[in-house]
Amino acid sequence: MPPDAAATLAARPQRRPRAAHVLGQNIGLVLAAAILLASAVVFTLMFVIQQQRLPGSFEITSTVNNTMPLAVAAIGQTVVVLTRGIDLSVGGVIDLTNALAAIFLAGSPLHMIVVSILVVLVGAGAGLVNGLLVGLGRLQPIVVTLATLSIFQGLAIRVLPQPGGSVPAGYTNLLVNPDAPTALIFLAVAILGWMALRRSRLGVELFAVGNDEAAAVALGVNALRTKIVAYSIAGALYAVAGLFLAANATSGDATTGNSYTLTSIVAVVLGGVSLFGGRGSAIGAICGAFITTMIVNILFYAHINPLYQAFYEGLFLVVAVVLGSLIGNLLRRRG
Amino acid sequence: MSLAERAEGDPAATIAARELSKAFGGVQALRSASFAARRGEVHALVGENGAGKSTLIKILGGRLHADSGNVLLDGNAVRLGGPADAARRGIGTVFQELTLLPWMSVAENLLIGREPRSALGLIRRNALAGEAEAVLAGLGIHHIDPRALASEVSLAERQIVEVARVIVRQPRILLLDEPTSSLVEREVEWLFARIRELRARGTAIVFTSHRWNEITSVADRITIFRNGAEVGTFDAIDEDEAVTLMTGRRVEALYPPLPPVPSPAAPALQLEEAGVGDGGTVSLSVAAGEILGVGGLAGQGHRELFLGLFGAPPLARATIRIGGEPIVITCPADAIHAGLGIALVPEDRKTEGLLLPLSVRTNLTLPILAQLSRLGVIRGGAEARMSREIIDSLGIRTPNAAQPVGALSGGNQQKVLIGRWLLAQSRILLLYDVTRGVDIATKHEVYELMMRLARQGRAILFYSSDTEELTHLCHRVLVLSRGRIVAEFAPPALTAEAVVAAAIREPHAA
Amino acid sequence: MVGMLNRRSLLAASGIGLLAAGLPGRPFAAERKLKIALSNSYIGNKWRIEMENLFKAALQMEPYKSQVEGSWFNSGNDVSQQSQQISGLIGERVDAIIVNAASPTGLNGILHQATERGILVVSFDNVVTAPTAIKVDTDQFQFGKKLADFLVEKLNGKGNVIMVTGVAGTFVDKERNAGADSVWKQHPGIKVVNRYTGMWDSSVAERNTAAILPSLPKIDGIWCQGGTDGVLKAFIAAKRTPLPPTAGEAENGFRKFMTGYMSQKVDGLSIGQPPYLVLVSLELARRILQKSHPRKDITIPFPFVTNSTVKVGETVFPNLPDSFFADFTDSGADATVKICVDAALTGKACEGKLDVRLPSQA
Repeated sequence: MPPDAAATLAARPQRRPRAAHVLGQNIGLVLAAAILLASAVVFTLMFVIQQQRLPGSFEITSTVNNTMPLAVAAIGQTVVVLTRGIDLSVGGVIDLTNALAAIFLAGSPLHMIVVSILVVLVGAGAGLVNGLLVGLGRLQPIVVTLATLSIFQGLAIRVLPQPGGSVPAGYTNLLVNPDAPTALIFLAVAILGWMALRRSRLGVELFAVGNDEAAAVALGVNALRTKIVAYSIAGALYAVAGLFLAANATSGDATTGNSYTLTSIVAVVLGGVSLFGGRGSAIGAICGAFITTMIVNILFYAHINPLYQAFYEGLFLVVAVVLGSLIGNLLRRRG
Repeated sequence: MSLAERAEGDPAATIAARELSKAFGGVQALRSASFAARRGEVHALVGENGAGKSTLIKILGGRLHADSGNVLLDGNAVRLGGPADAARRGIGTVFQELTLLPWMSVAENLLIGREPRSALGLIRRNALAGEAEAVLAGLGIHHIDPRALASEVSLAERQIVEVARVIVRQPRILLLDEPTSSLVEREVEWLFARIRELRARGTAIVFTSHRWNEITSVADRITIFRNGAEVGTFDAIDEDEAVTLMTGRRVEALYPPLPPVPSPAAPALQLEEAGVGDGGTVSLSVAAGEILGVGGLAGQGHRELFLGLFGAPPLARATIRIGGEPIVITCPADAIHAGLGIALVPEDRKTEGLLLPLSVRTNLTLPILAQLSRLGVIRGGAEARMSREIIDSLGIRTPNAAQPVGALSGGNQQKVLIGRWLLAQSRILLLYDVTRGVDIATKHEVYELMMRLARQGRAILFYSSDTEELTHLCHRVLVLSRGRIVAEFAPPALTAEAVVAAAIREPHAA
Repeated sequence: MVGMLNRRSLLAASGIGLLAAGLPGRPFAAERKLKIALSNSYIGNKWRIEMENLFKAALQMEPYKSQVEGSWFNSGNDVSQQSQQISGLIGERVDAIIVNAASPTGLNGILHQATERGILVVSFDNVVTAPTAIKVDTDQFQFGKKLADFLVEKLNGKGNVIMVTGVAGTFVDKERNAGADSVWKQHPGIKVVNRYTGMWDSSVAERNTAAILPSLPKIDGIWCQGGTDGVLKAFIAAKRTPLPPTAGEAENGFRKFMTGYMSQKVDGLSIGQPPYLVLVSLELARRILQKSHPRKDITIPFPFVTNSTVKVGETVFPNLPDSFFADFTDSGADATVKICVDAALTGKACEGKLDVRLPSQA
């Protein structure tokens, strides 16, 4: 053994450039953005060919407004998936909050603000139930949220047995202005919120738990608390999605949220968030949400036989996901 | 060598364990064990696998709670609420199972909980890498890229980051559970230099290791554990005596004599021009009855070579001959069919090769299920008989063949890995670090087994992270560096010093 | 159908490269055709498929062939997808959108925007609540009432009846049940011995009936919202024959029983929610756009057949499956619409002109 020298470990001859790391570690997000861009270009070209004009304010606005509920729900799903969970109760929470919004949103602006806050709290409460069952009960997230999905759906039907209720026009104009894509402002706020979360202690803990729960615990992370908070935040975001859905429809239906369970997962996957937890970005999930809307738009202008529309949607998803993982692997191997 | 006083009576102890007991299910890991470490000392904790060392460290590190007994800090009994609580009290622990978060960068891992923050209290993500670089440099680490993901760096580098993460928090008490298990000599030197620095500053350091020369080079005192309790604490003790105390019996010479290679040597496996990384190629030839060692620093293509020979994934551009006949190996099934068997103990020991929840029997017979089955139905009787034979002949310590492999100790799991290829009658065995993390008595059994296999005329390609082992167990040793064979040694030139010297010679410096 | 053909070619080209298709030539007819689009939600059952086939067939028949450029879309039961498709239709500046909605309320926002942009919205079957949309439907309360009246008459106001209901929680189910209950109330001699769901599905109705039947006394009459042939098959399996008088839906299988099937003959009344609601909607849209009809909701009478009016080849088809809806066409002298079976089966045009008679204005 050599004498007690201040041994050092010398540098490697070369390192990967910084840009390679940034690209390699955000490959999911980059691919999601690229697919979104590509699908937007395809859509625009098809639109120009068929309509002999560029997509205008109406097309952009309706695309944004229609995607808002999914985009917000997908952010919530991302938060859960990052902890290596999955949340199937999305649809139920949106149903419930959408029904509540349709019934109680009325009157003065102050009243509507209070109702909105209460609805978001209901969503957070629903998420809290999920989080407690997953965290304290040590149950599998897929089982817990499958069960609570049905429970929340049942509650929603209780609240609003028949589709109905109405959302004041002012509320609709504020959330999903039909004349201009002002809803993008809310999206920008959500992205800022995400970036702050990513830079907070909670954000680090979310990622840590999803990376390796045992290791995170050994590092002093309270995994139980982190999960409960994650599901609660997700529930609150689903409630916001429910509000957007109600504003968009100008009315309530206790079943319209159901499809968001699946589509939120699709958006998260398209957005490059790993279902194995610990990797991904809500910004990617937002891109994923817009990609799904773009798929609908493209299929619309392709005038695919309606009977085969679902087939093409599935095909597009598979191709996008397979392509994404292939490119990801290729980049990693190069690196 | 003097038996020290009972640990709890040590007035100078900074951290002490008093009559700790801990059971997992029916297994008593600690039986009223006591231990004490003083400020400014390096205290080695040695014992066989399962002696209770890791359990003790986990309790002292706040990760487990003892069923009974106390942890004392500066003489006062404390209840550690968890790793975070322990850290607040100045206890830093490097656990045996590494705790780096794989999909986060080295910088994020290193600085977790103490990230640079902006005025708003938000983490300055752009500043993470720079700060991590500075922290690592301050510890004499220049070779790890802080921007890389933890899963992208080698196991040795991960272990170093893990140590760095704990050291940089300047603990009063540093607990290290097998910190050197994946490190090569140079990195061990680095670690010991840091340990000595900390000792000079008054830190109490407790570490475990299976490598005796490491223990004697750095430890001030040694506590020996056997069967969940301490046997004694010593200022100095020679290896034979220590082994006797650890095992409760005397072990004859650690390394058994090598049987001669039958002559003329019939080449069993020949490999030409195999690319294993960094653009180099490897050619080698192993004879029946020969043990060919492959040494060198970690991460130089050894793994790729062993896995590649087994077709998982196949080697690039290689020509492989078995018994002189060229063959093509594109997947593990081809390799098994050609008479190759692999016992690969992965760097983290648990993720490849064994199906931990399944029985010893199933794990042994997996590669030969086709032979054991009639019309797709496994002949249970034959399966039971064959697995019984292997369990007996290799001395696999298991209550019965139905025991899940995951419940066996590391050494016995490794024997199962080798045993399955004996059942498959493999003529060529690829043994990759099969003694990693195994206690001395079991190591000895594995060595004996290797000799027996060589005597039976099997060809063995052997990699070990322990250079000492290679020099004693191999007829020849090749040194692999950056995907190339840079040296070959046979006795009498075959010494640990020569192998290490060849391994660390920088080929690019020339 | 030049418009459709262009779209087909675009679709074919899209496989190779969407952009390679180039600018498809748009027909510039002397008179501009009316652009009318069908936005359907769910397409997973026979009723919806027949409905869409009728629409396709009508577009190839006069007067629609020369006056209307049609297109059709399905979204599944996904409101946001249907909403996005309707946005697309608004962008295409169609003249009218015919909607079978995924939600009675979920599309109100986008449909409001459509009508604001001068697009006529006609909603049918699963109608929307948006006040600006024109509604074409049947009277579901009358549906339930008429079925009940039939049984009262056949049983002379006395006997045990079962009610096989539909999908709970839907407006249609509630109305139909209420219609029946209004009749029972006036005829205390009729005893409803059990009430269970058949989910408007023959196999579910058969399964549930088979499970419940052993616990029931002799049944004198069957009131069924949907899956009627399944209920009758369960009766046969339980050897509860001869089959009692039955008031049910327009499944081909039920009507086969009315003409003699599986060596049973049922005295029955068969009423349906007709798939040709889509044709009525199409006609209404055309007439409103041509200003020959006021913008007004319409309710059409149910097509129904009894043992005396059921006619092989016209309102019952022995060679077609039991699950086929035999009410794709109306029958009789005052028929709303008469169309051939091929139109419902394959979406092919029938001989001659298509004449849809809208109810006369009251």
